[in-house]
Amino acid sequence: MSEQQTTTEVAVDEQPAAAPAGRASHRSWRTLAENNALLGLLILIGAFFALLPKSRDVFLSPENVAVLLGNQATVALLALAAIIPLISGYFDFSVGANAALSTVITAGMMSFHHLNAMVAILIAVTISSLIGLVNGILVTRFGLNAFVTTLGMATLLGGVIQWYTGGQTILKDISVKLINFGSINIAGIPQVVYVVLVVAAILWYVLTHTPFGRSLYAIGANPRAARLVGVRSDRYVAISFVMAGAIAGLTGVIQLARVGSATADSGNTLLFPALAAAFLGATAVRPGFFNVVGTLIGVLFVSVAVSGLTLAGADAWVSPVFNGAALLVAVGLSSWLGRHRNAT
Amino acid sequence: MTLTTSKDIAVRMSGLSMSFGPTRALDGAELALRRGTVHALLGGNGSGKSTAIKILAGVYEADAGRIEAGGQTHDTADWSAAEARAAGIRFVHQDLGLFDQLSIAENLALDAGYPTAPGGRIRWKQLEQQVAGLLERFEIDAHPRQPVGSLRPAQRTMVAIARALQDDTGEAVLVLDEPTATLPAHESELLLASIRRRADNGQTIMMVSHRMAEVLSVCDDFTVFRDGHTVATLTSDDAAPTEEQLINLMTGRALGGALVHDTAAQVRERVHTGEVALAVRGLVGGPLKGVDLTVRPGEIVGVTGLVGSGRTSLLKTVFGDHPPAAGTIEIGGRAQSGGEDIRDRMDQGVAYVSEDRVGESSFASLTLRENLSVSVLGSFWRPRGMALAEERRTAADLVRRHAVKTAGIEAGFTSLSGGNQQKAVLGRWLRREPTLLLLDEPTQGVDVMSRKDIYDTVRESAAKGCAVVVASSDFVELAALCDRVVVLADGVVATELSGAQLTPDHLTALTQSSSTSTGAM
Repeated sequence: MSEQQTTTEVAVDEQPAAAPAGRASHRSWRTLAENNALLGLLILIGAFFALLPKSRDVFLSPENVAVLLGNQATVALLALAAIIPLISGYFDFSVGANAALSTVITAGMMSFHHLNAMVAILIAVTISSLIGLVNGILVTRFGLNAFVTTLGMATLLGGVIQWYTGGQTILKDISVKLINFGSINIAGIPQVVYVVLVVAAILWYVLTHTPFGRSLYAIGANPRAARLVGVRSDRYVAISFVMAGAIAGLTGVIQLARVGSATADSGNTLLFPALAAAFLGATAVRPGFFNVVGTLIGVLFVSVAVSGLTLAGADAWVSPVFNGAALLVAVGLSSWLGRHRNAT
Repeated sequence: MTLTTSKDIAVRMSGLSMSFGPTRALDGAELALRRGTVHALLGGNGSGKSTAIKILAGVYEADAGRIEAGGQTHDTADWSAAEARAAGIRFVHQDLGLFDQLSIAENLALDAGYPTAPGGRIRWKQLEQQVAGLLERFEIDAHPRQPVGSLRPAQRTMVAIARALQDDTGEAVLVLDEPTATLPAHESELLLASIRRRADNGQTIMMVSHRMAEVLSVCDDFTVFRDGHTVATLTSDDAAPTEEQLINLMTGRALGGALVHDTAAQVRERVHTGEVALAVRGLVGGPLKGVDLTVRPGEIVGVTGLVGSGRTSLLKTVFGDHPPAAGTIEIGGRAQSGGEDIRDRMDQGVAYVSEDRVGESSFASLTLRENLSVSVLGSFWRPRGMALAEERRTAADLVRRHAVKTAGIEAGFTSLSGGNQQKAVLGRWLRREPTLLLLDEPTQGVDVMSRKDIYDTVRESAAKGCAVVVASSDFVELAALCDRVVVLADGVVATELSGAQLTPDHLTALTQSSSTSTGAM
């Protein structure tokens, strides 16, 4: 049996030019289509609403684009936070609650303690990072299941938010500068979108262009093997949770800047669209892997569709049904393609 | 050769022949189990004994042969797993297949079915009563509700035996494949005593074991396979064989007694000569109970021993996968504190290729390039990002140098054959230019051509001054590749072979006999 195997391998090897080249071009065409399917769909849906009589007047108007992008900034940031631990195979359910906590702490520091906005932001982001560290230590050092650990953390933080705010919305003494930052547009695009782009660019560099990022992908592919090639997995995974926490903290600050007040919210309203975008993103650009660019496309995909549907006068139930269906189809399709890819 | 005894034969296999391609695994082998006896099936690696057991279990269909069981004679072509079961033949494999978290009662019920009331409700009381009776019959001191994971190792094996025999009325033939291979000495004794008592009560048992002392202490009859033939059948009517006789039968030649036991003089002679790449003294941890090993640059040293002898533990401890409980490790003359992790050991020039390619070496979802680079990621980092062009170029170089057959460096790792994956894994480590290369079963599941490539690569590295330690259970491989081989038994280096004495036959003999002390403990 083994001899036969060897013979066929040799046969392939003897004609390196003809056969593999044909196969490679076929494969690269399919890969290209696969990698860009979500982007293509995004453009298609955008074009559809830009042409649909009911929505075309407003859909591509600068105001609508600005609102659309500005409102999605927090979802995008939170999705970026979530993908970091997801790459190495760990769920972080607490990023939503962590962001919500950051919102109330930033507001509370200014409102209750009359601190300077910069200091308040620093304290909030630090606390969020520490929460990420606790998650990371529980998951790596104590070997707890990440799903359950971060779910517990999210619930706990929800309670802390209630306690800290007393269930009241914090409105008083929020820095005007901060609120302005959230509402001002530069070149027709809200300032907060630039924050998302900067964070995305840094994260893209870290995840694809440093040994750290490559190691996270290796841990995600096979944690045991990663350890045995010298990847300090526990440390790296813990750092990924800290990064997720820090970005969640920043998300909370941006949320405060956009809204101008801090409600005693559990953060789940942000979490689900963010996770949906992260998983949608894992079907694009580099299918099968969570990645920065794919995640951003995922966020846009969902928001463009929702905005278009709203403008077209669809009922309120249509958007969540569309989002859920899009996620199911995308994930289903990518896992089917993945199986197909491995089979050939 | 054939049994002439008048005693009742429970199972007789005769004229068994089977080939795998050009390899003849069995060539007219015979085996007869007398009712109420414990029968040992012995033979070295590749002697055909596992093939014979798989034929009996109905896993393989023999090319020719007859099987008599349950009072009927079957042609092997008509034999199947269902036939084997109907004839009352029950198997307990080395991997017991128990669910540790479930109770004994549940483990047994999963096999035999739960007693249920109308509506599908499980009659727990009835089940527990049944199981309690079974546990008593098999002398297992445990409660039916106790989880299997909480049992002692020997008890676990007995539970697996009880599971296999739970519907038995005394007619069944029990086949045990290396029942004591992973058990510590005192647990083996307990298990063997139980097995003996079952046979005294009339149970027919066949066991495969590599531990000669155990086999001699518990078995009545012996069948020895070599190269697919039955070379000897000894019954309790004959004079009891000695360990040396059995080993001679297995290897097919008389080996000098001196060779089997004393090579300590050579060991002493080799220590303290020249530089030392690896020095291990009194290493304790897991199955290791005080291992001493010295490896010099350019040397290829084999490590072998039976399953559970600690080959893998030794390599992993040196690699820093877990700290030793006691003992010292020196790498390239530097004493280790024991607190180093894998990264620290890698920085000192140590490399390790795991025996478990799928579980511990492969990044299945990543590309070949990424699999090759993963050991040297830091070297590609520049402030402007990963040097992808350099990474691709070096990956292509490695593919060429190690003759990895692939569609390209961006091909998925799983698209490679097992042998080519292994060559790539070896390449991943050799690109670090290690000074100490630890290989665990480097050619397991690797085809013949790739095997040759891997041997060439290992020899080439050694020629450049790399110290190589090869842990393997393949004696032909060890004899072909190594300068000397140490045999581990009971957690220590039992003996060492080198030069003209380093042959597969000698290794078989030493590995078997070095386990003598296990039974005596």
